[in-house]
This record gives sequence, C-alpha cells and structure tokens, in this order.
Amino acid sequence: MTLTRRALLSTAMTLALFSATQVQADSADGDALNKMTWDQVVELAKGGTVNWFMWGGADNINQYVSDYVGGILKDEYGITLNRVGLTDTVEAVNIVLGEKESGVMDKGSVDMIWINGENYRTMKQGGLAYCGYTGLLPNNALINWDNPAIANDFGVPVDGCEVPWSKAQFAFAHDSAKTPNPPKSIPELIGWIKANPGQFTYPAPPDFNGAVFVRHVFYHVAGGSQNLLGEFDQARYDEVATKTWALLNELEPFLWREGQTYPNSIAQMNELFANAEVALNFNYEPSQFGLAVQAGTYPETTRSYGLADGTIGNTNYTIIPFNSPNKAAALVLQNVLLSGEAQYEKARPEVWGTSAAIEISRTSPEIQAQFASIVTPVSVVSAEELGKNALPELQAGWISAIEQGWIANVAQK
Amino acid sequence: MGPDPFAMRAFRILTGVLLIVWLVLPLVPLAIWSFARGWRFPDLLPQEWSLKAWSYALSDTSGVVDSLGLTIGISLGVTVLSILVGVPAGRALGLYQFRGKQAVELMILAPTIVPGIAVALGIHSVFIALGLTNTIPGVMLVHLVPTLPYMVLVMAGIFANFDPSYEAQARSLGAGPVQTFWYITLPAILPGIIVGGMFAFLVSWSQYILTLLIGGGRVVTLPLLLFNFAASGRNDITGAIGMIYILPGLLILLVTARHLSGQNGAVGGFGRL
Amino acid sequence: MSDRMRIMLLLAPAMLIIVVLFFGGLAAGLMRSFNYMPVIGLTRPNLEAYAAVFTSREFYLSFLLTFHIAFTSTVISSVLAIGAALLLRRSFIGKSVINFLFQLNLTVPHIVGAIGILYLFSQSGSFARLGYHWGLIAKPGDFPALVFDPYAIGIILQYVWKEIPFIGVIVLANMQAIGQDYESVARSLGASRWQAFRHVLLPLIFPGVLSASVMVFAFTFGAYEIPALLGQNYPAALPVLAYRKYTDVDLAARPEAMAMAIVIAVLSAVMIYLYLRMSRRKIRG
Repeated sequence: MTLTRRALLSTAMTLALFSATQVQADSADGDALNKMTWDQVVELAKGGTVNWFMWGGADNINQYVSDYVGGILKDEYGITLNRVGLTDTVEAVNIVLGEKESGVMDKGSVDMIWINGENYRTMKQGGLAYCGYTGLLPNNALINWDNPAIANDFGVPVDGCEVPWSKAQFAFAHDSAKTPNPPKSIPELIGWIKANPGQFTYPAPPDFNGAVFVRHVFYHVAGGSQNLLGEFDQARYDEVATKTWALLNELEPFLWREGQTYPNSIAQMNELFANAEVALNFNYEPSQFGLAVQAGTYPETTRSYGLADGTIGNTNYTIIPFNSPNKAAALVLQNVLLSGEAQYEKARPEVWGTSAAIEISRTSPEIQAQFASIVTPVSVVSAEELGKNALPELQAGWISAIEQGWIANVAQK
Repeated sequence: MGPDPFAMRAFRILTGVLLIVWLVLPLVPLAIWSFARGWRFPDLLPQEWSLKAWSYALSDTSGVVDSLGLTIGISLGVTVLSILVGVPAGRALGLYQFRGKQAVELMILAPTIVPGIAVALGIHSVFIALGLTNTIPGVMLVHLVPTLPYMVLVMAGIFANFDPSYEAQARSLGAGPVQTFWYITLPAILPGIIVGGMFAFLVSWSQYILTLLIGGGRVVTLPLLLFNFAASGRNDITGAIGMIYILPGLLILLVTARHLSGQNGAVGGFGRL
Repeated sequence: MSDRMRIMLLLAPAMLIIVVLFFGGLAAGLMRSFNYMPVIGLTRPNLEAYAAVFTSREFYLSFLLTFHIAFTSTVISSVLAIGAALLLRRSFIGKSVINFLFQLNLTVPHIVGAIGILYLFSQSGSFARLGYHWGLIAKPGDFPALVFDPYAIGIILQYVWKEIPFIGVIVLANMQAIGQDYESVARSLGASRWQAFRHVLLPLIFPGVLSASVMVFAFTFGAYEIPALLGQNYPAALPVLAYRKYTDVDLAARPEAMAMAIVIAVLSAVMIYLYLRMSRRKIRG
C-alpha cells in the first residue's frame, strides 16, 4: 500500500475503529481477571493489542521492546505490542489522570507504563493503578519480594500494584585520555570542581538524572543516607537542605557556564560530554556509556566508575492503569518481560546491558549459564562492582521536597 | 530608474551570495550528521561515515515511515477541510460589505494573534470529555484553528479582485450553478486556492505543540518524532529524519512555485489585516 | 436568497469552527484557570491561580525574556526583509536562486531550522570547530554562548532565519503590485534613491509589513518548540513555562498553567492592539 493510501485509509478507519473496539473481547474488568486462571487470561488476551507507554529516548531500548518483546508477543500469543515513546514518563501519568478526571473509566488509552519513583506514588495515591493481580503471573515466582529494594518503590510499598522490570545504579563516566584521575567520591568531586572550573555540570531537576545527582550531594551533607530513611521529616529536611543549597550555590561559579544555566536534560549533558565541553558525565544506566561508545558518540577511551561513598540504585517497574481496556494482554506482556529469556536478552551489553530484576538463581540452569557468560564492555563498570556500594533511594516525599528545594534555592538565585 | 552603478551591482551580488549561504546553512549540518558515525568536537567533518542512521530511520522499528504517512495524511486532510470551509468564508469577506464585517474579520484572524498554546491547554479538557484526544480526527480538528485564518485571508484577497458579474452573465445565458462555479469561478480563484492550500498544508505540517497536547503522544507526527530524537541527543537519526521531514514541503513548492510571485493578489491578501 | 442569508451561510462553517474550537477553547481554559470545573466537583471559582502567577518572580522574568525574543526577532526580520525585497526587485545574477531559496525556506518547519542553528552555533558546533581550526579558541568553553544563553541569541537567530523569507515574500508581492512608477516620478522630480524609498515606497508597503510583522510577533511570542530546544533553563520562555506547569505531576499546578495561558493570550492581544494603534497613527500622520 502506498504511503498516502495507507494514511488516508487509517484516517477513515480511525472512526470505524472507535466502534470496532467494542467487538474485541474487552478485558477492562480487573476484578474479573483476578478470579481467572492464567490459561483463561491468555485465551482472553489472544489476538488483542497492548499499548505500552515508555520513555522513548534510547533507540536500543525501543528496538528491544518493539522487535524482541513485540516479536514474542506476536508469534506466541498473536498480541500486537504498540510501543508509545514518551519524552517523560509523567506524560503517561497525566493521560491517565486526565481520563479519570473526565470519567473515562474503562476505555483508557494507556495499557502499561514503565515507571517508578514519584510517578508511581502519584498513580498509587490517586487510585490510578490496577492492583492485586501479581499472583496470577507464572513468572511472579522468579521475583524476590522479600528484598525490600524490590518490595518498595522509592520507599512506597508496591502492594501488588506493579511488577519489577530492571535494576539501575548510578555511575560516573570520564574520558580516561583527557581526565585520567577523576574524583571518586562526593567530597573529592567538590574539591575537583573548584580546581577545574567550567568542566562540570548537572542537568536541572526535575530531570531524573540531575535530581539523583543532587540527592547524592544531599546524602553527603546529611552524613550518610541512614540519617534520612523513613518518612519525610520537615525539620531534618530543613537542616540538611539549607546546607546543601549553600554548598551547591557556592559551587555555581565553578560550573559550566559559571552556573548561569544548567542543561535541560541528561541528553544535553551527554552532548556536552561527547564534545568534551565537560569532563565528567553520569547516568542511572551505565550501560548507556557502552552503547554510546559503540555508536561512536563517545571516544573509545571512555570509562565509568562508582563512588567510594556509594551511589544510589533503584528498581524500575511496569504498571497497569485502572482503566486499561486490555488488561489481559498487559498481563501476558508483563509475564514475558519477567521471563528468564527476556531478562537475559536485555542484560546482553549489545542489546541494553541492564541488570535483571528477577532472581537469576530461580531461573533454569540454561538461563543461569547464559547470564554467567555475559561480558561487560570495558567502558561500562559492572553491576557487581557498583553493587558493592549501593545506596537506597529515599521515600517520595523527600524526593519532591529536594527537587522543589533545588528549583527554588539554586536555579532561581 | 536607470541601470545600477557598478558599486551597487557588486553590493547586490555580494549580499545575494551571503543571503544564499545563510538560507542554506542550517540545513547543512543536519545533512552531514545523517551520514555520520559519531562526530565530535573539534572535527570539521565526521571521522567515520555510516548509513546506520538512514537504515534505522527507514526501518519498521523507528516508525519514521509510518509517521511520514500519518503526517502527510493529516496535513492533506486539514488542507482539504480548510479549503472547503475557507473558500466560502473568503467569498463572503471579499465580495460583500455588511454590518459586523470588521468583527467577523477580527474573529477569524484572532488565531494568528493568540498563541496556540493558550488555546490548546483549554481545548484539551474539552476534547478529553468529547473523546477526541489521542485521535487523528481530534488532531485534524485542532489543526484547523491555525490554518483557517490563512486560508480565509488569501481567499478574501482573491475574491476582492473577482468580478461577480461574470457569474451573473453565465447564469443569464442559462448555465446552472455547478457549471457556473466550475467554468467561471473556479479558474479565477484557483491561484488563491493553491497558495492558501499551500500555507494550510505547511502550517499543519509543522504543528508541534497542538499535536503533542491533543494527540497525547499517541498521534506521532514527524515533528514530534524529530523533536524527541533531537532532545535525546541522537544527532545522526535527527539528521536523517530532518531530511525526510523537509522533503514533502520541497515537493509541494516545486509544484506550486509560480503562484507565489505576487501578481495575482493572493499573497497580497496578507496586507489586509 | 437575500444577500444577508447568503453571507451568513457562506460564513457559517468557518465561524462555527472558530467559535467552538478557538473561543470555546479559550473559554474552557478561562474556567479552569478560575479553578471552576463542575465535572470533578470544583464549583467555587477563585483567583488563586492568578495570584500565584502574578506573585511569581519566575513569571515576570519569563515574560520579559519572551517579549525581548519577540520584539527583537520581529524588528530585525522586518528591516532585513525589506532590504532583501529591495534586493530581489531588480534582476541580477542569482536572483532566481534566491527567490527559490526564499520560498524553500517557507516550507522548512521551525523545528528543523532550530536544530540546524543548534548544530551550527553551540559551543561545540560547526562555527566553534572552525574557530578551533583557525586557532581562535582552545576549547568549547572559549566560544561565546549563543544557545542556552540569557539573551536568547540562538532563538532570535532561528526566528530571523525563518521570518525574513516570510515577511520578504509578502513585501515583495506588495512591491510588485505597486510597481515602480511612483518612485520613478519621485526620482524624475529630483529625489535621491533614499528619499524615493523613504517617502514614497516605504509608506506604500508599510501596511503589508505591519500585518506580516504582527503575525511574526504573535508567533515568536507564543511558540513552544524553539525555546524548548534552544532556550536556557531559567528563566524559560513563557510557553515553555506554561507547558511545564501543565505537565507537572502536582495537579495544583494545572490551574496555574491555564492562568498563564490566558495571560499569554490577553497580553498578545493587548500588545498587538497597541502596536496596530500606534502604527495606524503613523500611516495617517
């Protein structure tokens, strides 16, 4: 079909499609699903569609999802996976929110979101998530729910409202040819910034990566994360925040552009690092450094590392909105994502290189052997290495306060 | 006026050359990036060339080809709708004087003065209730808001120079309304329809914030895709998509170019504000 | 059928769309900005959102920046467009090329131009690399900050790049419609080139330039994607700020975003009204 014919046809069919969705077996009723067996769920899902909204800024992830995962869904279940790329996960949360406000209760446009942290808290507190179904998934057995880092999403209990997908841990990167001795702890970094003006910056919160960097400084000022765990404490926050903002403001003149502006996003910062406008980079997903070297964006001499005083790690999840009309298909998708094969595929460095969220020891011996055979590229610090010094995330109350605090006290001064 | 003195001629040519370079310049790095495998400071040209960006852009995964078809379809649909709605309105404004005409003109032209984002945020909640968000028809409807004023403006200019007595003559000679329109009116107003249609197409073609808000990220037109890749730093793919994105506009231009050089009052219609 | 009936029928479809979508959209936004949304039970309108907007330092800084962008871009593009149109009036080598490129530029969407400007003028962009090769700078940080900068230079460059052809094509069409007779008469009466231009041609093309520049001002004031790509983080352009507030996870920010949008709409209308009043006076005087 020619492009224009296809486009014109799709325009005409959209209206038809509106009514056609009624014909397809509607799996919007979550309660009914919870009472079925897995085979019944699969049967209901066959031949359907699932609309998965996820951050679309990395084409390797896009390819893994659309080609590999989409292929499995299509071949084994006849389900069509529609990956919807977002610039920011909050866009999907806003869609569900807007739909709930306007009374759209079972014909939502979002079937699944790749999510964690504040966005997860918004969905849980707003009653926007479909919960209580995780026992249905066969691969749920592979998840270690006893691990508090998995059972809690940034301190908020999961309570069966979402299912883990990947683990991430923050790491730094440098060009070993230009900067052979990068600072390896926050105090060292502070000294290094003052000694090397214009060579460092960080994306402005609420950018995800910029915000977590600020939290590292916050932990340092607080004397360690153990002093901040638990519910948000206004008094404790004020005490630490005042000193943190003072520190960051003190550093401003030594930053890139003398701190007059900060990169809008991690992507801009990647650009700066690629062109040696700044000497250090960082990311929640260190595998990104390896992929960038592969694509020729970063020099071959790029290396990454963790910090001696530890870096923050988290788990990220997939969640199904309360008003998804394709819950059965979404469940099948989640089950596929949790499978040993899919988790191994995305752990491969040339695909994505991200850590598994399931217990590898609970998978089959063949899968375990495959995991053991993975070789991390030289530019990427291994997850094990990073894992030796993992710091927990704080509860979402702290996160938003720190974000707002930075915007009010550092950006606006 | 007499012929140019030499100094004036040289100045014209120099300015002309600078202008040509300036007009083409921003497109050059985009084109180069689309063939680059990494291109870091301070290299003037990429150290390594590659077709990976193009192969990804033209592949199924990236969705670029689908998006191209979708965007063309939407813009064509919006153009047709604008013509159907704008020609009669232009006729009314160009041929007749009536009480309240200034108010009507102001209302129709208001969207060119009020920024789209102001309207889009408001329309968004209405469209959610109507179930028009995240749909192609919804996006097309909202595109009509910025395109209609241009269409009406151009057609009003054309009709202002149109003599309706020809139509009356044809009718008096026995021609039916359809015949009159087809043989008398249409040829006279066709340049305006072409210019207005071109503006309508281009306005719809380059819409970003309206499509983003109303389409909810589900209706992925090329500008959205391009913005996403540009914002995430994949310059090579951005370059490829950018090149693809300017192609249809270029084609339309080649087809309609001669109508843009003012002698027919169509473009002059913009002086009517 | 009476003339009045005919006129109303002809105008009906267009008016329907404009009234329902455009004015309806503005009205809906206005209601939301007053926190009035019966659908979800908010039935007590209030001015909290507006209070929040007008007491926010960020808002005023954003407004000043956006005004500066719109004003500077419009002035520079208009002046240079008139110059370019004067250039293109006469035949000379390369005229058809420039004509073609002008019209080509009209078809290139703003986003593409913005990305191009980014690749050319960033501190590690093409001009910076040229500077490095000519020994003018040693590292990207030495190159002047033209994008993500407080004066929005990159943004203005992009608007100028796109609007010179836009205004130029309109002015050129007007010039060709007017013809060269008036100026010839003036020259034959002893006026210099400049005088013929300033006192004969300029007043004649002024209405066209005015309406084109009004459209340019409105567009550059309210556009989102160009400052989103090329602008600095704080203060951001007004449309970027409004969109940021609208998509904020904190729902309380929504009415604020709507209020900001309404303020943008009102400010645009007022500024353009003043602009037209002052210029119409100039035309008559």
